[in-house]
Amino acid sequence: MKNLKILLIGQPNVGKSSLLNALVGPRVTVSNYPGTTVEVTKAKKKINNTEIEFVDTPGTYSISDRSEEEKVTERALFEEEADGAIIIADAISLERSLYMTLQILEAHVPTVLALNFVEDTKKRGIEIDYEKLEKILHIPVIPMNPLTKKGIDKLVDTVLKIKKISKRIFTVKYDDDIERAINKISSQIKKTSIPKRFIALRVLEGDEDFHKYLKDERVIGDAKESLKDHPKVAEDISITRYGTASFIAEKVTQITSLGKEKIGKEKFEEKIDRVLLHKTWGPLTTGLFLFAIFGILLYLGNLIQGVLMSSTEILLSSFGAVEHSIIAMILVQGLTGLAAGVSIALPYVFLFYLLLGLLEDIGLLSRFIVNAERFLKKLGLPGKSFIPLALGLGCTAPATRATRVLSSKKEQFHTASLFAFVPCSSRIAIIMGIVGFYGGIKLAFSVFATLLVAGLIWAFGIKKVIHIKSEPLLLELPPYRKPLVKNVLAKSWIRMKDFVYIVMPLLVIGGIAYGILEILGLTNIIVGPLSPITAWLGLPAVTIIPLAFGFLQKDLTGAMLLSVLGSKISLALTPLQIYTFGIASTIGIPCIIALGMFIKEFGFKKAVALTVSSIIYGLLFAGLVWRIVSIF
Amino acid sequence: MAKESDILKIVKEDILEVVGRKNKRTPLKFMKLEVTVSHSFVSKAIKELEEEGLVKVSSEKRPWKEYIQLTKEGQVRANVIIKKHSVLEKYFKERRSKEEAIEATNILEHYISTEVIDTIKKLSTFKKKGIPLTEFKQEEGLIANINLNIGLFERVISMGIYPGEKIRITDKIPNGIIIEIKNKKFALDKDIAKEIKVLEYEKS
Repeated sequence: MKNLKILLIGQPNVGKSSLLNALVGPRVTVSNYPGTTVEVTKAKKKINNTEIEFVDTPGTYSISDRSEEEKVTERALFEEEADGAIIIADAISLERSLYMTLQILEAHVPTVLALNFVEDTKKRGIEIDYEKLEKILHIPVIPMNPLTKKGIDKLVDTVLKIKKISKRIFTVKYDDDIERAINKISSQIKKTSIPKRFIALRVLEGDEDFHKYLKDERVIGDAKESLKDHPKVAEDISITRYGTASFIAEKVTQITSLGKEKIGKEKFEEKIDRVLLHKTWGPLTTGLFLFAIFGILLYLGNLIQGVLMSSTEILLSSFGAVEHSIIAMILVQGLTGLAAGVSIALPYVFLFYLLLGLLEDIGLLSRFIVNAERFLKKLGLPGKSFIPLALGLGCTAPATRATRVLSSKKEQFHTASLFAFVPCSSRIAIIMGIVGFYGGIKLAFSVFATLLVAGLIWAFGIKKVIHIKSEPLLLELPPYRKPLVKNVLAKSWIRMKDFVYIVMPLLVIGGIAYGILEILGLTNIIVGPLSPITAWLGLPAVTIIPLAFGFLQKDLTGAMLLSVLGSKISLALTPLQIYTFGIASTIGIPCIIALGMFIKEFGFKKAVALTVSSIIYGLLFAGLVWRIVSIF
Repeated sequence: MAKESDILKIVKEDILEVVGRKNKRTPLKFMKLEVTVSHSFVSKAIKELEEEGLVKVSSEKRPWKEYIQLTKEGQVRANVIIKKHSVLEKYFKERRSKEEAIEATNILEHYISTEVIDTIKKLSTFKKKGIPLTEFKQEEGLIANINLNIGLFERVISMGIYPGEKIRITDKIPNGIIIEIKNKKFALDKDIAKEIKVLEYEKS
């Protein structure tokens, strides 16, 4: 039995995930790489006598480590100890794919070039001479189509022989001065498996991560000396690399005829874009889509929730009736937590990720990002923050990880701080299930509106305090495509995994912890000391129990409220109190699980500071609003 | 090591260039090539050029009176080479002293293919003339120059937004501009777009 580890590398929207599907088939377990969600996905497949592990990297245009995606790809390239890489190239814009190919060849990674969209290219009247491309690059070039499986077998065969790919590969020749500088730096490199030329280039391109491979950093100054005529050497390197890529691409492509077929479709797409990116219709359709998703979620979510709730309740009651020992009672609390998680969050979160994945695959998501950017920019956030913020409507914990799509830690933290106001499924359940159920739908919507206002004030405040220049809009708009259900399902599952394996167990633990405290009678201890808070909020003192212990398990907030106030909430609380409770329990970093995620991403101090301040802000806000409203 | 055919190619181009610059018939003995190769190479090159119908060599009784002249086709070919040469010179002059520039150009011109030179040509000749994409009125143009910090610069380049490429503005949106390059669409921030200088696209 042999083992091979192969990286899949390519630009966004080049068909990487479809290829992974075509390569490993549906039965394989797709697993998430620990530690990164801007995601490295691994999947194994046994072929003949070899087990190939495919490592799917995030879509990037280069491996120059200037964005988080690039960093992940670069890290995978050097730290995974892969045996080789498949680069998925877009035949339609070959030079662009070749740019990254040349970069990876500089790293001496044995590479197979898989050309996708070959049929589309032919339709456009462009012929690519694969053999010539093979000869120029000295690596195998295989035209393929993951959807029809054409060329996949050949690709697998080639991958099995990847170790035999010649080491004599194409090298980009730079200007004499640059070559001299490369040689100079190369002579001062410590022993490592990474090729010296690659390290030298990365150093010249200004990547400080590679300084650790130098014997003496002073060599950089030496090398720069001979580069007086290249004040922007990193730019010259990129230009030469791309120039070479486009030169090779032109060498191997031939325009045979002018394709007519695609023109109609493209004109049509352009018209759609004119509407979807229009200054008024764009944001409007984006908003409508989000509302529609919300509607679908609330409807389907409720439906599934109803079924799951009743079945878990039956299960729980039969369990609780058997024995009345303390352990059983604690267990029941744990199970209640689990049941709440399964029945409220699971259907909701999964459906949400599914719909989001669909939008992404169709190509709508990138248009929405462009529209959202207009408004996010005003809050000091980059357009890409739309993705984690939207994911936050599902569950805050995985959404926190998704902030990694943003390029700086500051941007990530700023975006993550807004999760205090983006209600996750559990908080939506509080708003709909308690405020909406006992106070009416209007009251529920005023809670949503209050969250929005509170969030906007917060965001503007932060923008004033920490002055960050957010990354400007630079986004490829992929052509509209029919979504592949299999892909969407797989992607949703990957996003769900965080929820299932991290959030769910913690929900159970949170439930058990609450159960223990309740049995020990400790829950009531906090009522007295914390009564100033409830007084400020104008709520009965006992409501501090669901407010405080909701932090252990947000989904139990409703159940806790019922247990302290009795089932007649509408009698125990005025509508204004229900509203205040709704705000106080939903603003702020929601739960201990989210806090844990924050600690992991941003460190203990920052995470705790943010959590505490956001909760205090929420309580202050709720009390203020209550006072202002009661004046009228 | 350069192969014989490569050297021959270089010599042939050099001959065309030298004769083309003089723009008239040139006595063979006054023909001063920039490359130093043995005489046999030169005569072989001239012979091949004659066979290709690019030059004419007068037949004189006394060989030192022989002169070389370009045919019409040869003149066209020579003009291409001269243009290529001057473009490269310009490009390198921006970075080096003049002598060095001329030297570097001589070595490079024969080795860089016309395609790469085309890209560089667009780069150097158009650099100053471009107008910011945000102020560009036509629908289509050529990217002349990109002036961004290195992080953004490489991102933009690696996405295929490259000097010399044809660019089409498909839409202007409140927060930026939608462009198309080689069938790929991008949304660009105004701050990025204004650093991309564009030339009017001349249809040849």
